[in-house]
Amino acid sequence: MGRIKKKFTEGSSRTYTTRNRALRKLQVSLSDFRRLCILKGIYPVEPRSQKKANRGSSKPTTFYYAKDIQLLLSEPLIDKFREHKVFLRKLQRALGKDDLTRAKGLEARRPEYTLDHLVIERYPTFVDALHDLDDALCMVFLFATMPAVDQVNNEAVEDCKRLSTEFMHYVIHSHSLRKVFLSIKGIYYQAEIQGQSITWIVPYQFSQNVPLDVDFKVMSTFLRFYRTLLGFVNYRLYTMSNLTYPPKVDQLMDDSAAGLGSLRIESRRVEDLIKGVQSTDSDDTNAPEVAMSKQMKQRMDTLGSKIKKIVAATAEDTISSVPAYEAVGSSGEADIDDDARQTNSLLFAKQVFFLSREVPRYSLEFVIRAFGGRLGWDQTSGGGSPYAENDNSITVQISDRPVQGHQFLNRIYVQPQWVYDSINARRLLEVDDYLIGQPPPAHLSPFVEYAEGDYVPEAASKLAAAAGFEGEVTNLKPEDRDQAEDEEEDEEDVADIDGASADEDALDSDDEEEEEDEDAIAEKQHQKQLLAERAGVSFSEYQQKQGAKPKAGKAAAGKKRSKAEVEEEERQKIAISMLSKKKRKVVNRTQADADKKAKDVNTFKTRKAQAAAKSKKKN
Amino acid sequence: MVGQNKSKKRGAASRETPVEKAPLFPKSKGIDVPSDPEYSSDDEEEVEEGDFDEMLKEMASDQGIGSDDAGDSLDEEEVEEGDDESDIHSSDIEGASSEDGDDESEDGDESEESDNEEDSSLVRVASRSTDDQHTAVDSQDEVEGGSEEELDEVNMDKLTIRDFVGDIQGWKEYRKTLPQIDAGYASDSSTEDPANTIGNVPIEWYEDYPHIGYDLDGKRILKPATADELDKFLANMDDPDVFRTARDEVNQQDVKLSEEEIDIIRRIQGGNIPDADYNPYEETVEWFTSKTMQMPLSGAPLAKRGFIPSKWEHKRVMKIVRAIRQGRITRSSAPSKDAKPRFYDVWEKAEQNEDDSAQQKRLARRARMPAPRLTLPSHDESYHPPAEYLPSEAERQSWLDEDPDHRKKNYLPQDFGSLRSVPGYERFVQERFQRCLDLYLAPRMLKRTTQLNAEELMPKLPDPRDLRPFPSVESLVYLGHTGRVRSISVDPTGLWLLSGSDDGTVRLWEIVSGRCAKIWDLKETVHMVAWCPSADVCVFAAAAGSRTVIVIPSELCDEHKRLLSEELVRAGFNSAAQAEEGEEEDDSLPVSWDMPTSAEQATGIHVSVTMHKTVKSVMWHRRGDYLATLTSEEGGSSVLIHQVSKHKSQRPFRKLKGAVQSIMFHPTKPWFLVATQRYVRIYNLMQQALIKTLQPGVKWISSIDVHPQGDNVIVGSYDKKLSWFDLDLSVKPYRSIRYHRQAIRQVQYSRKFPLFATTSDDGTIQVYHGMVYQDLNQNPLIVPLKILRGHEIRNSLGVLDCLFHPIQPWLISSGADGTIRLWT
Repeated sequence: MGRIKKKFTEGSSRTYTTRNRALRKLQVSLSDFRRLCILKGIYPVEPRSQKKANRGSSKPTTFYYAKDIQLLLSEPLIDKFREHKVFLRKLQRALGKDDLTRAKGLEARRPEYTLDHLVIERYPTFVDALHDLDDALCMVFLFATMPAVDQVNNEAVEDCKRLSTEFMHYVIHSHSLRKVFLSIKGIYYQAEIQGQSITWIVPYQFSQNVPLDVDFKVMSTFLRFYRTLLGFVNYRLYTMSNLTYPPKVDQLMDDSAAGLGSLRIESRRVEDLIKGVQSTDSDDTNAPEVAMSKQMKQRMDTLGSKIKKIVAATAEDTISSVPAYEAVGSSGEADIDDDARQTNSLLFAKQVFFLSREVPRYSLEFVIRAFGGRLGWDQTSGGGSPYAENDNSITVQISDRPVQGHQFLNRIYVQPQWVYDSINARRLLEVDDYLIGQPPPAHLSPFVEYAEGDYVPEAASKLAAAAGFEGEVTNLKPEDRDQAEDEEEDEEDVADIDGASADEDALDSDDEEEEEDEDAIAEKQHQKQLLAERAGVSFSEYQQKQGAKPKAGKAAAGKKRSKAEVEEEERQKIAISMLSKKKRKVVNRTQADADKKAKDVNTFKTRKAQAAAKSKKKN
Repeated sequence: MVGQNKSKKRGAASRETPVEKAPLFPKSKGIDVPSDPEYSSDDEEEVEEGDFDEMLKEMASDQGIGSDDAGDSLDEEEVEEGDDESDIHSSDIEGASSEDGDDESEDGDESEESDNEEDSSLVRVASRSTDDQHTAVDSQDEVEGGSEEELDEVNMDKLTIRDFVGDIQGWKEYRKTLPQIDAGYASDSSTEDPANTIGNVPIEWYEDYPHIGYDLDGKRILKPATADELDKFLANMDDPDVFRTARDEVNQQDVKLSEEEIDIIRRIQGGNIPDADYNPYEETVEWFTSKTMQMPLSGAPLAKRGFIPSKWEHKRVMKIVRAIRQGRITRSSAPSKDAKPRFYDVWEKAEQNEDDSAQQKRLARRARMPAPRLTLPSHDESYHPPAEYLPSEAERQSWLDEDPDHRKKNYLPQDFGSLRSVPGYERFVQERFQRCLDLYLAPRMLKRTTQLNAEELMPKLPDPRDLRPFPSVESLVYLGHTGRVRSISVDPTGLWLLSGSDDGTVRLWEIVSGRCAKIWDLKETVHMVAWCPSADVCVFAAAAGSRTVIVIPSELCDEHKRLLSEELVRAGFNSAAQAEEGEEEDDSLPVSWDMPTSAEQATGIHVSVTMHKTVKSVMWHRRGDYLATLTSEEGGSSVLIHQVSKHKSQRPFRKLKGAVQSIMFHPTKPWFLVATQRYVRIYNLMQQALIKTLQPGVKWISSIDVHPQGDNVIVGSYDKKLSWFDLDLSVKPYRSIRYHRQAIRQVQYSRKFPLFATTSDDGTIQVYHGMVYQDLNQNPLIVPLKILRGHEIRNSLGVLDCLFHPIQPWLISSGADGTIRLWT
């Protein structure tokens, strides 16, 4: 007989703690606790068994990991919060007694705290921080566009503006932007920094609607941390690519609403040089063996300042000659070039753009420069444009108006969507579809990845087909063929899509087509093999790839049902009855998913047919 | 207030004898109102006339508009500097005045009473007059000031008193009839009387009438005669004052404006102050002068605190000094230059120093639940999506009608056509806020989802095509029954089929042709028909109502067989008679073996066994001599076993738990299976013992069957489940299969092939391959083969019975739709 175990001394009731218990342990108010949770990234958890975790009570409660709360116990921020509380009390008392001098003095000694230690604690490595940057960027970019209202601290807004511009400059400098999407909510950007995909959304630049049903206290607490995080990330990014941080603000440009141009990005190399010299200098003096004459010492001392002078002169020269934003001599250029070749990140390197005043400069400038393009803009949309509208070197003018009045002959006029679609397609698209005065083709999300049996919109398949990307085309092919069939069917009867007879007909035609195409396919395959060989892909790998492809085709073809397949399906159903309950559920669920997908695809098709019919009628 | 004050003073003054001061009056009066010409001109005579009212008014106005006089009096003031100080101290006089031994002291009470708001100009004027009088006044200024004021009061009172000096009585009377106080300029009861007496009636009401109202006697007051327009015009032309005449509509007369009135109008038109005399830019009067006084106000010695430094202040200062010394108070310094920059490389140190343990720690922390990343937008969020992604009008409406919390997507796809027409997204901030809330308020949980492929999960079963033969198509339908066909049975040779139905008939069919060979009408619902399994005889039993009949269909068998059958069936009558003679029949058994009627005998019914309750089921023992029946009554007497050859019945169970659903003889062993609602009990009839209780885990068993080899049992249930038991293994099912959508009615093994079938109320028959291996280590193989559909559902009843053909791989089924079907 061992000792009788006390209840709730181990297991779930120890792993978890409720919120109230946490409050009692930490001796903080609920609002302080929440603020701590936000800053420290502590979140409630759902235990597997609530009853076990809550010592036998099944009342709905919020649980936290007990370890997390233990961690909070030693958090210096708690003391800071208490200090702040005391400060507020004193201040209030002073104000209540009309003791303004005292209040002023207190205000001057307002206790402040930083969140630096939280950044390193929550993100032990830089990559961790990058991985979790999405939310931070979204918030900072949102608050950068916030109007001056009571709920939002103006200082924070200014800081957000600056941090976001800095980040954008880094993305421009490193050419790390990958995808852009114009949604109805805002503009999504995706950059790839150190192998991490970072996605953020920027609202369209209108004055933000400041809603009443939002607790800005919570948001500002989040923002406080995000600002700190983004600042440190920016610092690291800048220093890693040998840029000075913080970049200097060009007040003149800033006043003329130059946007991105108001920050001056400079290389850090020269400063490093100076630092290096100074450090060697000090080393030398410390070394006992080297006896230095006073003259030498003096010379070395002044060397740094001299170099500084020279460098400053040259820097000024370069800055005056090159447009302000051009980074001066970056050391990482060679790496970037390699990278650029793979991802087409210098897509617009040969283009010079001009933005008409109605297009969103805040986005296009960022995007175009991130892909190596140069651009000018109308004066009304901000100062500091390096190109005037009548500049001869301009190749593309981006304009978003129904009719373009005067047109220069040596440039093309396109709608802004061309830029975004080109970026997503990773090549310069044909401009014919994007000319002024006509509706542009549908703008598709670059974030969608098509799985087997998914609906692929026509525009996507066209793009992929034109690009000649093997991997994607195979996925897209069956859908293409379906579309062709659809069109045939449409001619017969739009409504009769599910009809069995139509299905059989389609099947027949399928077979015929396949037979006809067989020769052509064989030839194509041979060509592909040759290409693969040239690319250095081993034959076995190639075969594996090929093996994966026809399967997909088969599955898509399986949609057409024959008698044998109906039988097969029935057998499948019977077989399902033999499964255990657990497995049967899984199978049923997957089956339902597949059915739903098929249904969705079907609705898309019917809708498309309807839209086509409508447009036909109009014509 | 003012009036009251005055009267009070007057009362006080009247008690005095102010004769000496009479000569003062004229002088002071002359100075008193220098700016008011009217006042100065006819002041004297008015007073003389005794118009006391007017005088009171004047005085009141003097006090109210006293500032008018200030300008004038100022000049005189500057002449005499000493008076300035006296003004300041005009209020604290009481003590000083008492010191005065002069006649002013008499007025001490009055000075107390005097209004503090008394106009100071008056005071000043009066003071100068006193200066004139009393040249030898005391040197103390304040005293002087105080006396001056008193004098002033006295002067004013003099004014009134002089009139009534001769007629005190008259004054007293007058005082009683003092007039009402004028309510003022803006009041309704304005004192000016209108000349027109029609009252407060709008004059335009009388526009079309010759009169303008009525007098006290009710007579019309006629409008004053007016000249016609021409005369008016001529008169206007002649009149030089036409431009200064205005029409007074109330009094119906032309009024000629005076020069002053026109001036006022002009001033108003010009935006100036109407009053010509009013000077808005008057010189400032320095009431409280900045000049220091030469002499102290009081002769009291200086207080000690005036010249000794404060102890308490010293204490407070020392407190601060101590705080500074101890460093509690520091100068708020400017931000020092060596302060840390706001941002620096936080990760530098950490990444250099990171050793394995730290890395592990980090990984462990990372393994905690990270917040799910935001879902990336799909095509329909585009500002210009493909047409097929746009919702139809109905979908749009349903999205709008839906509760915002329940919407699948928080936006409505929209096509804006061009980028310039895209508006700002209204709910942007809310969505970010929602994300914030999710990050710190939403409980997180790790859910491991395995991406299972459905194909991988499917059991590896042999292809049904390899497991042929099995019934798969419907070949024949036996039509004829008008009610539900509850039971069917095939004779051991496999040529004939018996069916019993709710229409009270038992029919005999030729299986291959579907011809109905014979019909027995038993009048009552036939629940069960069963051929005797013995190959030597040709006998079947049918349960109709509470009667079980044993029939020999003599048409089907040859002579030898018929004789054998008859012997088997009829021998019992003799033995029964003997038994009756020998011993008493057990009364408790509710069974009677009867000889049927001759008509029935003609149709082949040889014996009729009658029980108390409806017979649900009849089962033959494999030898063909014993017959088990199941009646619908409760308890042990529901199951009876009859010996046909001896016409004897016995009750195997004294007590039975639960309602018996089905009974069965074991095909190889002397066992008897009884299926109650939840359990199947297997008894050994020889040992009279319970061998096993099978627990299928279902709610309500409907039917059982035993595999011909005897080691496996299948149990069908009304809760749609089929359970397969391996008797050697366990009392729990080896496998449960749930395919049917409705209750299972019947389960049947094939006697020859490794097949079994289940029938259900959903109108289907499910055929399985059920292979039982000789090797005990190998589990039975169950493969679903085929679903047979054909029977219609009537009153939610589908297929009621099924049976495998004893020789061929055929299945015969009967249903609630009155048909029997053959599946081959």
